[in-house]
Amino acid sequence: MSGADDRAQAPTPGPVRPFHFPAVERTTLGNGLEVVVAETRRFPVVTVELVVNAGGTAEDEGTAGVATLTASLLESGAGERTAEQMAETADGLGITLDSTTGWDVAQCGFTSLHARLEQGLELLADMVRRPTFPQAEVERLRVERLGTLAHRRTDPSSLATEVFSRYTYAANTPFARPVGGTSATVSALGREQVAAFHVARYAPAGNALVGAGDVGLGELAALAERFFGDWRGESLPAAVPAVTPRSEQVTVVVAHRPGAVQSEIRLGHVGVERGAPDYTHLLVMNTILGGSFSSRLNMNLRERRGYTYGVSSLWTARRQRGAFYASTAVQTEVTAHAVEEILGEIRGIREAEVSPDELRDARDYLAGVFPLTVETTAGVAARLAGLVTYGLPSEYYQNYRERILVVTADEVLQAARRRLHPDRAVIVVAGDADQVRAPLEALGIGPVEVVDPAEVLD
Amino acid sequence: MQIPTERFSLDNGLRVVFSEDHTNAVVAVNLWYNVGSRNEAAGSTGLAHLFEHMMFQGSQNVPETQHIAHVERAGGSVNGSTWLDRTNYYETLPAHQLELALWLESDRMGFFLPALTQEKLDNQRDVVKNERRERVDNQPYGDWDERVQAMLYPPSHPYHHSVIGSMADLDAASLDDVKRFFSTYYAPDNAVLSIVGDFDAAEARRLVERYFGPIPRGPGLPPLPGAPRLEPFTVGREVRDTVEGDFALARVYLAYRIPPFGSEDFYAADVLTEVLSAGKSSRMYRDLVRDRRIARAASAFCLPIVTGAASLMVRGISPPGGDPASLEGAILEHLDAIAREGPSAAELERALTGLEARNTLELQRVSERADRLSMLTTLFDQPERINTELDRYRAVTSDDVRALAERYLHADNRVVLTYVPRAVRAVVA
Repeated sequence: MSGADDRAQAPTPGPVRPFHFPAVERTTLGNGLEVVVAETRRFPVVTVELVVNAGGTAEDEGTAGVATLTASLLESGAGERTAEQMAETADGLGITLDSTTGWDVAQCGFTSLHARLEQGLELLADMVRRPTFPQAEVERLRVERLGTLAHRRTDPSSLATEVFSRYTYAANTPFARPVGGTSATVSALGREQVAAFHVARYAPAGNALVGAGDVGLGELAALAERFFGDWRGESLPAAVPAVTPRSEQVTVVVAHRPGAVQSEIRLGHVGVERGAPDYTHLLVMNTILGGSFSSRLNMNLRERRGYTYGVSSLWTARRQRGAFYASTAVQTEVTAHAVEEILGEIRGIREAEVSPDELRDARDYLAGVFPLTVETTAGVAARLAGLVTYGLPSEYYQNYRERILVVTADEVLQAARRRLHPDRAVIVVAGDADQVRAPLEALGIGPVEVVDPAEVLD
Repeated sequence: MQIPTERFSLDNGLRVVFSEDHTNAVVAVNLWYNVGSRNEAAGSTGLAHLFEHMMFQGSQNVPETQHIAHVERAGGSVNGSTWLDRTNYYETLPAHQLELALWLESDRMGFFLPALTQEKLDNQRDVVKNERRERVDNQPYGDWDERVQAMLYPPSHPYHHSVIGSMADLDAASLDDVKRFFSTYYAPDNAVLSIVGDFDAAEARRLVERYFGPIPRGPGLPPLPGAPRLEPFTVGREVRDTVEGDFALARVYLAYRIPPFGSEDFYAADVLTEVLSAGKSSRMYRDLVRDRRIARAASAFCLPIVTGAASLMVRGISPPGGDPASLEGAILEHLDAIAREGPSAAELERALTGLEARNTLELQRVSERADRLSMLTTLFDQPERINTELDRYRAVTSDDVRALAERYLHADNRVVLTYVPRAVRAVVA
């Protein structure tokens, strides 16, 4: 064998092996609860998630954080069971109950061996239908939440993201605050608010039970009927004021962390809703800009300049307009240079079409990695929850790869021009203001405001 | 659930493990090199990890920045990691791109040095120093493992220093150091290659022979630096440290030396940590978090490492204003209690149920299967243990757990690291 000669060129790929996202089947129980199933029989494992219109947008401003607190309390006692008994049941089944709360929905579910699905669903039904919210548990988890908020102030990455939200959205937009509430609002929460939120928001009609893995629609619908069939009520997506930006100018904010050896940077602005018609174009555009290791931002800031361990950019997906932002941590001395480079890359992708190679690589990357994100039942269930939350058609993921693969360079350029706004960027730096303020001012992009994180986030 | 395994070796000593699974059109390629931070001499801390970064900077036939770009445009994910005992490199790709991964991995195993430049090293040195800043220096509690390792293992032991290394040593790493490190450790007879997923074994074997076969054996491994054997085995006294800083919540870390990963004692220790902190019915969650509320979280875990001694660690996080000393005392009560009386039958059963369920969930991913096969082959030369590891847990008795706690979880084998918030300004209502 001649060794080195044989290997001078990358091998050509073999024939493509087909990939199909499992068929999505749905039915609706008499009480309005939808059951959505994607059956895959690779492992004897099932993931189920109840997806409920009980996210942060369903809160009043004065009770911000009640959605998160309520979801976290569902395991603290339900039906005839104490928290202790629920824990023993779950651990005895080998399942980990998870409750997560986003802006749009709360999700509550588990992954289990198929043999334990029935017992797991019985427990899940107790949690979402008959939680008892014991006073001691409300107090315990309220304090836990306050501890999380206090910790996030000292964690530069969380701090930068929170300050970014605060300065990106107008004050009357819920997204300006953390989804779990602020110290002020969480401190005021109690059992009464939690119980009221549960009554108003946890209901069958308008919501869905999704299941993925070793279960068919018939079986899951029958189990759903048994454990959720006599549940009554309705909760629809919350009405939210129109999402508006806080400012139409460039905003530069330094959240002062004396002595910090790095600056956490968030740079972006109000983005788009998940259902935006050009969302797929934006995904391809962002993959080229900052959504992959080989992206322009990462090649520039990491591989060319060594400023950072990594940089990325993303669109947050919500029913209403979320955010676009680039995110990185750079050594303190190069903070202003890094900001300038990020702005430069954003301007660049609005100025000219991406190259044919960049376009092809980005499309192939997105289409190729998709099957890897749905290898597990939890991965498939997360996609189903997305379908339900954003009202996407059942066949959305069957055609996902094909839609990605036909995006053109012109569509990428038009989407970038339409949706990226470096001229009204919000630039947040969590870092040492004594070192970064003057260089940021010297960029001449706008006045630099220095804030005490503790004050701005209370 | 049985995971099929098939193994063979090339003439150059590369050990190869195959596991076919045609249910999803993806394939995982995973390489473990039997080298980690334990192989670094004094003054060279962080070199193994810096070297791992260099492996992504191209090789003779792969231009700079193109290693990861090749995988991404093929629709794959790719990464590597460095730990105390080993360094791994892995990619998961659409099944028809298997050959690409073998080409890339073999090119850097066999043809790395011609593409190495000072410029690339300087760039990745900056990247790694920023990785250290991001994960350690600018991160609350970010140095906990560095501090615990330094207290738990003596300066002569290869686990005394952290994987990320010191800024001074990173600054001092030269191009010659990188070359020497490659020539010493990166050879087919010091590596294991695992392939898992949708591939044809005969075809894959032909490709492995073609791409890896021509790579020559290495020079053989030098002995580990320092004194990997610990005599006596235990620490010999309690070692304590307290760090005051801008932390919102106090934390306590306890660490003990225990027998290495793979030993019977290690499985008993792993079961012990399950009983202490796996799930909300566990002893520490129930007592410290739910009932007494002196912790907002408490977890126990063992590090699966094999050089001299592994470690069992317990982490407790105080609620706002909480007293770390009383939290430490309460954790110690639990360790003492288990040394007096082992877990109940119900506790053991829950621990096993949890371990079994998590094992099944984790093995859904081809990448996880590939990494485990590489690990079991590198450490024990037994890839088929992927199907029998649970039996080792099932064999653990209540008295095994009790005896393990009695023998190792005592004051003279203990490291305690406490983080306390700096002089909190009094908050008066």
